[in-house]
Parts: sequence; C-alpha cells; structure tokens
Amino acid sequence: MTDEELFTVVGILPQEEAAPPPQKRRRELPIISMVLLAAITFLCLFAELVMTKDPTYLDLANFSHAPSREFLFGTDTLGRDIFSCIWYGGRISLFIGFVSTAVSTVIAVVYGSVSGMAPQWLDSLLMRLTEVMLSIPELLLIIFIQAILGPANVLSISLVIGLTSWLSIAKVVRTEVRQLRQAEYVVASHVMGGGFFHVLRRHLAPNFVASIMFMVVMNIRGAIVAESTLSFMGMGLPLEVISWGSMLSLAEKALTTKAWWIVVIPGAFLVCLLMCVTNVGNYFRKSISRKESHL
Amino acid sequence: MINHKSKLRYYGTKLLIFLLSVFLLSVLVFYISRLAPGDPLLSYYGDRVEKMSVAEKEWARDKLGLNDPIYVQYGRWLQGAFHGDFGISFKYKQNVMEVISLRLGNTLILGGIGYILIFVLALGLGILCAWYEDKWVDRVLCRFGTLSCCIPEFWFSMIMILIFCVTLHWLPSSGAYSFGQAGNIPDRIRHLILPMSVVLLNHPWYYGYMIRNKLMEEMRADYVMLAKAKGQSKATILFKHCLRNVFPSYISLMAISVPHVLGGTYIVETVFSYPGIGTLSYESARFADYNMLMVLCMLTGIMVIFCNMLGQIINERIDPRIRANEVLESSEVSSL
Repeated sequence: MTDEELFTVVGILPQEEAAPPPQKRRRELPIISMVLLAAITFLCLFAELVMTKDPTYLDLANFSHAPSREFLFGTDTLGRDIFSCIWYGGRISLFIGFVSTAVSTVIAVVYGSVSGMAPQWLDSLLMRLTEVMLSIPELLLIIFIQAILGPANVLSISLVIGLTSWLSIAKVVRTEVRQLRQAEYVVASHVMGGGFFHVLRRHLAPNFVASIMFMVVMNIRGAIVAESTLSFMGMGLPLEVISWGSMLSLAEKALTTKAWWIVVIPGAFLVCLLMCVTNVGNYFRKSISRKESHL
Repeated sequence: MINHKSKLRYYGTKLLIFLLSVFLLSVLVFYISRLAPGDPLLSYYGDRVEKMSVAEKEWARDKLGLNDPIYVQYGRWLQGAFHGDFGISFKYKQNVMEVISLRLGNTLILGGIGYILIFVLALGLGILCAWYEDKWVDRVLCRFGTLSCCIPEFWFSMIMILIFCVTLHWLPSSGAYSFGQAGNIPDRIRHLILPMSVVLLNHPWYYGYMIRNKLMEEMRADYVMLAKAKGQSKATILFKHCLRNVFPSYISLMAISVPHVLGGTYIVETVFSYPGIGTLSYESARFADYNMLMVLCMLTGIMVIFCNMLGQIINERIDPRIRANEVLESSEVSSL
C-alpha cells in the first residue's frame, strides 16, 4: 500500500506540502567592486608599467597644466604628472590601509581576548580605559602620537593609525570571548595545559572571526581616510612622499588658480577605492534577518 | 530604582565613574602632550627662539615651569585647575579660558545646530527607508548613504569651495564673518551655509541607515502581526509601536556619535578656517601649546563622556532591561 492509500484508510487527507517561501534576493558577491578594487590594486602595484612620466619629476615649465594629451590628468602646482602620481601614490595609500589594519587587528584581538578572559575587575578596568580613549577624537590622538614619533614616514604613520583604531574591534572581541570562555572545549583546553595564545588561536579566534570581519575591512577604509586627512592638513606625509593624501594637500593652493583637476582627480580615485572597500566589507556584515516583513 | 537610597547610590556610582574617567583622561592627555617633542618655546616666542642663547632658553623654560618632572607639572596644573586657573596659552599669551570662550560660541553654533539637524534628518530618512523597504526610494537612499560615508569630509569641503566660492562666487570660503561684521547676523549665516551643508550632507545618511535596519528588525516582530490583525493601519503600527521600540537604540546612537560628529566638525572648521574649537585644537597640537591643548582635550573628552553617560541613564530609565553597553557593542554601531 502506498502512503496515499494508507492515509485514505485511516481517514487523514494527504496534505499538500506548503510551497517554499519565495526566495528573497540573496546577497550576491559585489562583483563590480571586487573587479574595480583588483584593477586599482593591480595598476598601483605595477605602476611602473602604466606611468607615462616620472611621478617625482618636477616639470617646472608645465606646472598646473590642464589635462591634455601629454598630461592625461594634468599636472599639479609643482609640475608633477598627476596620471603617473595616481598609480605611484596609490601604492602608498593602499600600503598604509593594509599595514595599519593589520596592526590594529592584532592589538584588538589580543586586548579584547585578555579583557574577555580576565577576572571581573581587570575586565572593567580595561574596558573603562578603552572608553576613555574613545572619548578623545581619533584625529587628535593620531596627531599626538605622531608628534611623539617624530616626522612622519610611511611606516610610522601606518603604525600610528593602527595604534589608534583598534578600540571598537577590541570591544566586540571582548564581548564574543566573554560568551565563549565558559564553553566546554575552552575549559578543556585550559585544563590540558593550553596557554593563552594557544586557546586564542585554536579555539577563540575561529569563533569570533566572522563577527569582526566587517569591522576589519572597514578599518582599511578608515585608515586610508585618516592618512589622506592628515596629509591634507600637513601633519601626515610630506609632499615628497607621493600618496593620494599628500597630492590633495596641494588642493588649497590649486583652488586659487581654479585648477580643478588637482582637487577632483585624486579625490575621485580615493572615493572610488573607498566605495569598493565598503561594498566588499558589506558583504561580510552579519545579514539582517531576511524574513518577510509583517507590515 | 525602588527607593530613594538606591537612587542616590545609583547616581553616586555614575558620578564616581565619570570623575574617574575624567581624571584618567587628564593624566593621559597631559603625559602624551608633554612627551611629544614639539617645542613650546617656539609657540611662545615665535621666530625669536632662533636668536635666543642656551642660557636664555633655559631661563624661559624655568619660568614656564617646563623643567620640572612631568608629575610635578601635572600636580601644579591640577591645583590650578581646581581654582579655575588653566594657565596661559603660549601662543596667544592670554588666559586659555579667554581664548577659548571667544571661539566656543562659533563651534557650538556649527556643531550644536548641525548635531540636532543630523539626527532629525537621520530619523526622517530612516523612517522613509523602512516605509518603502526594498522599493526604489529605499535603494537610492541607501546607495547615497554608502557613498556619503566614503567621501572624506575635507575633500567634500574642497569640492564645495571649488563649486560655490571659486566658480560661482556665491558664498564666502572662510571665516565666520566678514571683516568688521561680527554682529551682522545675515553675514554670519552666509558664512555658515557651506560648513553646515558639508556636515549635513556627510553624516545623516549613515545614522539613517542604522535606524532603518533597527526599524526593519522591529517590523518582523510578532507584535506587529497582532497589531495588524487587530486592523491598525501601517502608519499607526510604525509610529506608535515600532518607533517606540527603536527609541532606546536611537538615544545610544546619538550619545556615541558625539565624538564622530565633533571630529567631523573639527575637520570642516579647519578647511573653512572657521574660528572655532577645531581650528584652535589643530593649532595647539601643531605648535605644542600645552595648556591650550590640555583644556581643549578635556573639554571635548568631558563632553563625550558626559553624553555617553547621559545616554546610558536615559536608556535605563526608558527600559531597565537594556544595558546600554549592549547597544554600544553591537558591531554595526561601533564601526563608525
């Protein structure tokens, strides 16, 4: 006897299975952003192949030259070819973004885990400290620490930005670790003599990595913005070190001569890069519930 | 908060934490600023420093009390601070408070009005997006939101200057008022338009986006279904039920966004040479004007710490179940 016949004998009507709820739009990979990001990164890494001029050469005969066939994006107030500078300087902007994010992530993970595993009083103290640090506007803090380290160079500025941007990630790590620390496998690992870093690497990190991924990617964005803002204000990289930020520091001078390309072009590249990073980061964000709205 | 005594205790603890945070902040800022290698004599004497002999420099340092160990200097500063004396600005050679009070008003106008408008706009945008969820209005607004937080404030300010000052000559590009027009209100407003619009175009989207997400979470709760079954209209449910539940996180959001908005205002001030606290703190950090820097950092820090606590207290009053920290720590909010 088949199921259907059985049901008829017992007197239960075979019920139709409910159709699966209509699939909402799935989050798709941000293809366009990824391709653009890859392209910009690639072109910056191999800038030597793309550049039409020497980016550091000061062509004093052709300063503030509007975009033309020879100077594709024009030249800045010092006579440097902007097209070449974009690729050459992008390398540094990207480098700062990645290095400072690496620095801040490492600090955040260690600090957050220590705070999460620590006894109550130490935990409160460490968290109070982060709150105090968070209450100083980030830019001011960066200026302070930069001043201690002396004149900025690429490495020191990425270090400083990394040193000031770990606070919010550390808080998330701490919350996650606090929930995880009572888990049996963590306790077991401790009992078997696993040290702090062993437990962190093997048991804790794999569990909280998903929840900080979005913030880590956003940190790249934050670092690039911080570098360009600092350099623009004349407290970051000096003019000789070409980055998108230091290129924009010529903008104020350019404004008086209506040389819009000096302001607009590096900035447009900056915004484009940041946009791509954001879209990629959003992909990692914990998705909000995609249930059907009741309203 | 059942009785009077526990209430007293509650606020007592809050006050203690507040004072402790402020104290910690002052020590931190004091030490960092003194350790920085910038030469305060340069800001005090200007270019004359170059012509001073070693002995003269030593004398000047002694007079300004810069030769003592840092903790002695800190003790002296603290003592003065309790008497309302925060020292003189090395650059302006005036009492720090006098210099600041001249400029505080400007920042309060830009930052304060900006802050209020940001959150009114953000609430409106959030509701609008949640109402038209996944319709084109929502999508366009969200796109704008993502774009706006990718545009660095300083660059956006430059573009505004380029368009409205350099090309169109409509608006002034710097200062808070034209020369000799300090009391002229329309003139001041004209100077305020550009900085304010940068602040307003840059911030609200992002907060609006967060409110939208919170609202959308609420709209999926079961009570909404019930209210709908009772026949209430969409507007009633959204405004009377959902919005009320979103409110606590909205207040936390307002509280923790203070340093973010403030930092943004500082940058905008610097680009537009708007004579406010932002330009002042930029100057003082750059020229190692210790006393000035100290007071400015404390001022900013106290404001931020105070707002955070206020947000916490309000939240706990609205809904005792909520520990504001939980809202603070949600990754979305803290990734500003």
